[in-house]
Amino acid sequence: MAASPHEYEHDHPHAEVSDPNRPGYYDIMETAVRELLIEKKLIGADEIRRQIEVLDSRTPALGAKVVARAWVDPAFRTRLLTNGRAACEEEFGISLYDDTQLIVLENTDKVHNLIVCTLCSCYPRPVLGLPPDWYKAKPYRARAVTEPRAVLAEFGTILPDDVDVRVHDSTAMVRYLVLPRRPERTENLTEEELAALVTRDTMIGVVPVTLNREAAA
Amino acid sequence: MTGSEHLVTRLPNDIGGLPADRIEQADHELAPWEKRCHALADVLDFHKIINTEEKRCGVEALGAEMVAKLTYYERWIVAFSNILFRKGILSPTELATKMDEVDARWTSAEDK
Repeated sequence: MAASPHEYEHDHPHAEVSDPNRPGYYDIMETAVRELLIEKKLIGADEIRRQIEVLDSRTPALGAKVVARAWVDPAFRTRLLTNGRAACEEEFGISLYDDTQLIVLENTDKVHNLIVCTLCSCYPRPVLGLPPDWYKAKPYRARAVTEPRAVLAEFGTILPDDVDVRVHDSTAMVRYLVLPRRPERTENLTEEELAALVTRDTMIGVVPVTLNREAAA
Repeated sequence: MTGSEHLVTRLPNDIGGLPADRIEQADHELAPWEKRCHALADVLDFHKIINTEEKRCGVEALGAEMVAKLTYYERWIVAFSNILFRKGILSPTELATKMDEVDARWTSAEDK
């Protein structure tokens, strides 16, 4: 019963008046926990706001820059595949938390990588931001490890039979990022134009990078 | 065979390989409180109050019914509360009192 500090009920009839801004039970719980921790000086009053700014600054555009750089700079690509964490920190100033490793998985014409977190929702947040809802929900987590081709097909990705599909199950300490294949006929694109082709889902490994982003959507 | 072995060998979070429905490719913008909850998780981790693995474990400890019925960040904030109780950082009474206080801000605002 530790989960509910008490039954939370309103005994005032007017409390039922629906104010769309009125916070719900869990919203109130979050505010209460945060304020208590601040009162106890365990966290700083400004830290949550600053961390929200950090969260907002992390988007798949960061991962896309990393991918595009790896496509145009073979030395960086080698460093990225050797130690993803160090390469992202040195080249882009992207810092991971604690001792979390970042392992970058290169897709080729013979190997297709897919990332999942079967236990919860571990995700390469410093380079992709927050995971989409489907990544955190049961169907993807349950099925990706045993029927990856069926899962990929639901995203419209059909791979030839001779392509080896590898599924990587993330943990708190080990996060993965897929380095997708560079599409053909992109020799004349700039690094920035290449980065614009790279979407979140291509770096999770559920779809390939295509030249026409609208066609892929 | 007692039929209960699967409860021992598979904890609620351990769903890899289980049969499941089609993937609904849904996503939503986080509500402001959900984003604050995520930021709180990060800040708790920075201060070594609750780390990622403790959080995951705390969600698992909610049990299958709560894991199924609460939304993602609802599970997080309840797990944080439980972990903070267990560590003696907060007490259930303290949290209940503070929640009443937070709610009363809205009630008194509506009275005006």
